[in-house]
Amino acid sequence: MSPPLGGGGSSKEGDPVVFDITPHKIAVCHIIQVFGLPAQPCACQSISQHHRLGLFLFTLTKSCEGFLEPSLEELINQLKALGDLAWLSEHLISSLLRLSSPDDLFNFFDKLRGVLVAPEGSSMEDEQIYLDPNSHLGVFLRSCILAFNMLSFEGVCHLLTNLVAYYNSNDSTYEMAEDDDFNESEYHGLLDDPELDCESSDLEEYGLENDPQAVESLLHMQKNVLPKFREDNEASVDSEIKLDDGGAQSGSLAPLLNNFRSVDGLGILRSRWQVEGYLNAQAELLEKDAVSFPLNSFTATLKQLQKIAPEFHRVKYLQYLNALYHDDYIAALDNLHCYFDYSAGMEGLFSRPTSPSEFEVGRYETALLCLGTLHSHFGHPKKALEALTEAVRVSQQNNDDACLAYTLAAICKLLSEVGVSNMTGIIGSPYSLGTTTGLGTPLSTQQQLLVLLKKSLRRADHLKLTNLLAFNRLALAKFDLKHVKKPLLCFGPEASMKLRTCPISVCKELRLSSRVLSEFGADEPLQLNDTGAFSTSWLKNLSTGDNPWSTKLQKPRSLFVNDYDTFHFHAQPSPIPGSVLQLAGESYLLRATSWGHYGSAPLVRMNALVYATCFADAVSSSELSFAYVKLIQHLSVFKGYTEAFKALKLAEEKFFSVSHSRIQLLKLQLLHERALHRGNLKVAQQVCDQFGVLSSFVNGVDMELKTEASLRHSRTLHAANQYSQAAAVASNLFCTCYKFNMQVENATVLLLLAEIHKKSGDAVLGLPYALASLSFCKTFNLDLLEASATVTLAELWLSLGSSHAKKASYLIHQALPMILGHGGLELRARANIALAKCLLSDPSFSVSEDPYSVLDPLAQASEELEILEYHEMAMEAFYLMAIVYDTLGRLDEREIAASSFREHSMALENPQDEDNLPTHWVHGT
Amino acid sequence: MTSKESYRAELRSAARQLSDRGLYSAAKWASELLVDIDPDVPPSSSASSSRATPSTSSSARPLSHLHPDVAIYRRRLRSAAVGASGDVSATPPAGVSYISTPIPDDDGFDGGSNDRYLLAKSYFDCREYRRAAHTLRGQTGKKAVFLRCYALYLAGEKRKEEEMIELDGSLGKSDVVNSELISLERELSSLRRAGSIDSFGLYLYGIVLKDKGCESVAINMLVESVNGFPWNWSAWSELQSLCTTTDTLNNLNLKNHWMKDFFLASAYQELKIHEEALKRYECLLGVFRSSNYIQSQIATALYNLRELDDAEVIFEDLLRNDPYRVESMDIYSNLLYAKESFSALSFLAHRVFLTDKYRPESCCIIANYYSLKGQHEKSVEYFRRALKLNRKYLSAWTLMGHEYVEMKNTPAAIDAYRRAIEINPRDYRAWYGLGQTYEVMSMPFYALYYFRKSSYLQPSDSRLWIAMAQCYESAPLQMLEEAIKCYTRAASCNDREGIALYQLAKLHSVLGHSEQAAFFYKKDLDRMEAEDRQGPNMVEAILYLARYYKAEGRFEESEYYCTRLLDYTGPERETAKSLLRGLKIAQTIPSMDIEHFGS
Repeated sequence: MSPPLGGGGSSKEGDPVVFDITPHKIAVCHIIQVFGLPAQPCACQSISQHHRLGLFLFTLTKSCEGFLEPSLEELINQLKALGDLAWLSEHLISSLLRLSSPDDLFNFFDKLRGVLVAPEGSSMEDEQIYLDPNSHLGVFLRSCILAFNMLSFEGVCHLLTNLVAYYNSNDSTYEMAEDDDFNESEYHGLLDDPELDCESSDLEEYGLENDPQAVESLLHMQKNVLPKFREDNEASVDSEIKLDDGGAQSGSLAPLLNNFRSVDGLGILRSRWQVEGYLNAQAELLEKDAVSFPLNSFTATLKQLQKIAPEFHRVKYLQYLNALYHDDYIAALDNLHCYFDYSAGMEGLFSRPTSPSEFEVGRYETALLCLGTLHSHFGHPKKALEALTEAVRVSQQNNDDACLAYTLAAICKLLSEVGVSNMTGIIGSPYSLGTTTGLGTPLSTQQQLLVLLKKSLRRADHLKLTNLLAFNRLALAKFDLKHVKKPLLCFGPEASMKLRTCPISVCKELRLSSRVLSEFGADEPLQLNDTGAFSTSWLKNLSTGDNPWSTKLQKPRSLFVNDYDTFHFHAQPSPIPGSVLQLAGESYLLRATSWGHYGSAPLVRMNALVYATCFADAVSSSELSFAYVKLIQHLSVFKGYTEAFKALKLAEEKFFSVSHSRIQLLKLQLLHERALHRGNLKVAQQVCDQFGVLSSFVNGVDMELKTEASLRHSRTLHAANQYSQAAAVASNLFCTCYKFNMQVENATVLLLLAEIHKKSGDAVLGLPYALASLSFCKTFNLDLLEASATVTLAELWLSLGSSHAKKASYLIHQALPMILGHGGLELRARANIALAKCLLSDPSFSVSEDPYSVLDPLAQASEELEILEYHEMAMEAFYLMAIVYDTLGRLDEREIAASSFREHSMALENPQDEDNLPTHWVHGT
Repeated sequence: MTSKESYRAELRSAARQLSDRGLYSAAKWASELLVDIDPDVPPSSSASSSRATPSTSSSARPLSHLHPDVAIYRRRLRSAAVGASGDVSATPPAGVSYISTPIPDDDGFDGGSNDRYLLAKSYFDCREYRRAAHTLRGQTGKKAVFLRCYALYLAGEKRKEEEMIELDGSLGKSDVVNSELISLERELSSLRRAGSIDSFGLYLYGIVLKDKGCESVAINMLVESVNGFPWNWSAWSELQSLCTTTDTLNNLNLKNHWMKDFFLASAYQELKIHEEALKRYECLLGVFRSSNYIQSQIATALYNLRELDDAEVIFEDLLRNDPYRVESMDIYSNLLYAKESFSALSFLAHRVFLTDKYRPESCCIIANYYSLKGQHEKSVEYFRRALKLNRKYLSAWTLMGHEYVEMKNTPAAIDAYRRAIEINPRDYRAWYGLGQTYEVMSMPFYALYYFRKSSYLQPSDSRLWIAMAQCYESAPLQMLEEAIKCYTRAASCNDREGIALYQLAKLHSVLGHSEQAAFFYKKDLDRMEAEDRQGPNMVEAILYLARYYKAEGRFEESEYYCTRLLDYTGPERETAKSLLRGLKIAQTIPSMDIEHFGS
């Protein structure tokens, strides 16, 4: 590395990089001085007031949000909110005004020293309080003094200029009108220059963004703001109108305007630590909930930040993230490369070293890792794999074990999410991760995935990367859930393998993964990483509420925040970092999914509930919506569609446009199911088509969505009695699933094929499919699906003739415990009807002897089917009921059943449009 | 009245007006041009008409068009000449008379104003800008207002530079803004609204707006300025720096003046439309026959078109006429670097060193010399010096990046290239350099992005395509199909070294596309024959062709290549012999059959 500029050495005076002295800090110092020396004018406050001031100062020095420090006006507002401290703000203003020459500044800091140290020989009689130099405020004061003393004369001059601007910014907010001519002259330019125009409209958006309620209406605004803003401008050049039209908005807008104005030369900047902290917080928020960051306004903020502090390369990283989450491929790529170009080698070679080495600095292997994730985000699995293999290579070269472990995890994620049917030549290259089997046989994708996962896990364990460890365990659990582990070597016939997935190992991995939480809890209970965020929120409350001491409990909170947030004011901050919390939460989500596979509905619901309640503010909104999706699906299966749609409506409000994809998908699913049940095939087909459109057309991407789409397509055809087509679609799907090794899906597809053959009356052909499905279900421990397959099998047997009725009934009885314990409405009804049919077709059974063993299941089935509005099956139930009543001679009841049958058959024949959710709803999506 | 006479008159007055306002470099440019107008042939109408075959329109039309203007300026010239004669007391309103034509009441009331102007101008010349501005406070004459604003602007610029160094060191990139911009903008815009602004004021307004970032408005102001007073080369070059795309250039609403040709030529040069620029310069050379400026621009264009020899002749000539010239000599040094002429480069370096060692160009030349000598550390040192003198010196950043790559200091190289891109995001050399750096670090996939960028900006450069292809071909990627696509692009855009053809042939043969491989080997062979070259590639091509034709059953062609191979020594010769033997055996049996059936 070449040495820093030889000649320019003397020019780098402002070396205390971490702690810059700013006008805001001078103001704070001044208040501390007043706090410390209460012998100032109007020393009339009570003790409690004094304490309140102390608390205020404490939070003020710790607060860290935003990259611009609050303006003088904001500070004064906060002071006022504290109560009877108006004299203090006036005092502050007047004494700031008195600082008009460098010498004043010197004197000011000299005096500050007096607050810290008790002069020799002074008695403690006078009421002066000396700050302990080691207290928090003391340290703050000392670092301010130190920073000032290290300034060169030029630095002092800069500080003075900034101070004047700081003071003036306070004035100008009250005297906006004076700027009329400025606006007017700018105005021509404003119209000509699209750049400027856009910036100012963004500005308005940003102002709104601060308001939590405004976020909701943001989509509306985005459409309206631009034209409206322009009109505003045209109608009156006076900018005051803009400020005054909404009382609530002007508060957030005015300081922002100031900031924009003050950009011309003198950003009142925070220290680099704080800006770094701000950027990190923003990055986290962005990853969590991208939609609440409107693309342009956030870009504008970042641009502003970059303008003020061009040395902050991390801004580029945020721009990358912003572009990434708003699906702007080109911008994301550009910013990614830009960021790593600047920061990968070293921070700023040709400019002064901006950040101490502790700051995160990207490296080349990290760049490749990011590039890989970028490509996989945009659905380019091939490019992503290329980038990631290069990342593996480079991190091996540079001995970056941590990055290697992360890269392996990223590859695993990619492999498990994306269907890559053939891996030869990609990972199997010499750079590959050492396939240690030694058999010379090429490994399948899945085997490689497992090898990779194990390696990554070992590495993470070795390097003590807790997050990665948890992630890998989750990935392993996911793998175990869906794949049978075949021993690679098996000798002789003796080693008969039990080809089954192992739920216990899934459970184990899941438990181990959420252990991360306890590790954080136990190991470092006293690790207080308070970044100052709490102080900031405290300050914010101070300026929003009129009387912060009483109203804080009722302030409107943002939607995604948990209730326990209320206690943040008093409680200690949680010591667990967000990412760990997120992973721990994910384990619950995965638990829900795996229980879904294994067929335990109550446990699905429980885990989803745990996730939605405990991890709501740690996880991204799209994942949170996933938990809601699970809950609503549960509702629809167990409580019928009316309930489910009610819940869906709530969820849609909650995730207003946030994770449209998941919620929208759920809506389509529900609509499709209901349309199928009601026999409204036209709607079903429409919904099906929409499903097909949602998935990407790239091969191997969005596999789940594609599978589901064609599954639903086949089911629609099946419902429309087009058996051959339905079977064709289904067997096609089977081939795809087989190719991409999606065995769990195969079970469902096979069952569907059996159903199709059953309904088409070809029971003999259906039997092998049902049996195959059954064996798949057994292999993967899909208990509920197995029960469903058993019922289908029984029905198939039954349709082969009454001689098989005993067998069928036996099968159903076998499955009944599972079905009654965990099955949904439809499955239970099906089982009940099948049971009744078995009995009825059994020649040894006579209805008149034991009518209730038939009637009970039928009654229950019809009840459940009515909730589901499943007309076709309800007809069957009522038909059977009517026949039974007929044979029993109970004519009244027979008539009731018959009329119910008629109702359902009418409903099936002319499916009236949905009561509360008409079809346009479908079109509107 | 000949056109040359009028040109001369225009330039003479313009140079005087420009220097009177402290616009030194524009004045220098105008005076240079004034001297360069072909002094030998006074009745130049014949010369110009005979020479300027395509340009008659461009040189003659503006003249007729601008006739009234010319008259005005001649009148002004006279008054200006009087004003500049220095007899201040005798002609009190003279100095400001021509600028205040629209507002006659300006300054007319006392002679003191002109004295003040003199004082301010002297301060200005001594670089005491704020003092100059202070002296002119309250003056309302256009000239005085301009000088005051200009002095303020320069004072702000000076302070800005100082501040930048205070804050960030000499190569830092802090975004310090000229603190005078806002007040200047306010004043100038109100002046413009009142209509009391002249072309010089508009020029200043233009640069203020440009510095503020309001580029489209700045363009409008500058266009207005050059339409009013076309001889201000500084205004033209500001305008040119704002025309980053051909679209903006074509949309400018410019009056047809001969200065426009200079502008367009230089703008085309900047936009890398070198042929068009060259054409325009050659037309202009008809009038300004001995202009060093035009010569140097022509040489630069030739250099960019990689006509190194022609360019060198012109540069040599230029240096002979103007031995103390430093401008555009850095390009000459690049040329000498490319030609690896050690002694000429050292001579040039020595000469500029003696002339003025603290010019960015001089430092760059010296750095080039050291680089050629392989002393990269020293070279970097001089590039740094050049950049300290002018931190927006684009080519120095890029060249310094190259040096760092040579020194294997990749992070520094990347930083340098990035700085170049910051200055001009369309600089394909810097993008290319970045790609190369990452390739050196064996990150070919990552490097692809940069090569893609550079070849997007300069699609006609075969080197960029070849670099990209090499990335695809590299061991870790092995994406041969893509590599073939890139090589095909390279081969189609004039690849002089013939790398692309050879690589295409090789890749096709690796992939088993024997037909295409043979095609490209043949093409490569033809090229080498045409350029009369020998080498291992030749042998390889011949051998491949011999084998290919044998496999295809075209024995005569195969024999031809085999016999050619016999001329070479080495193992190939033996292979050729055995091939020939095989050919004979193969030929006898099937050819007999064919003969039988044929006859």
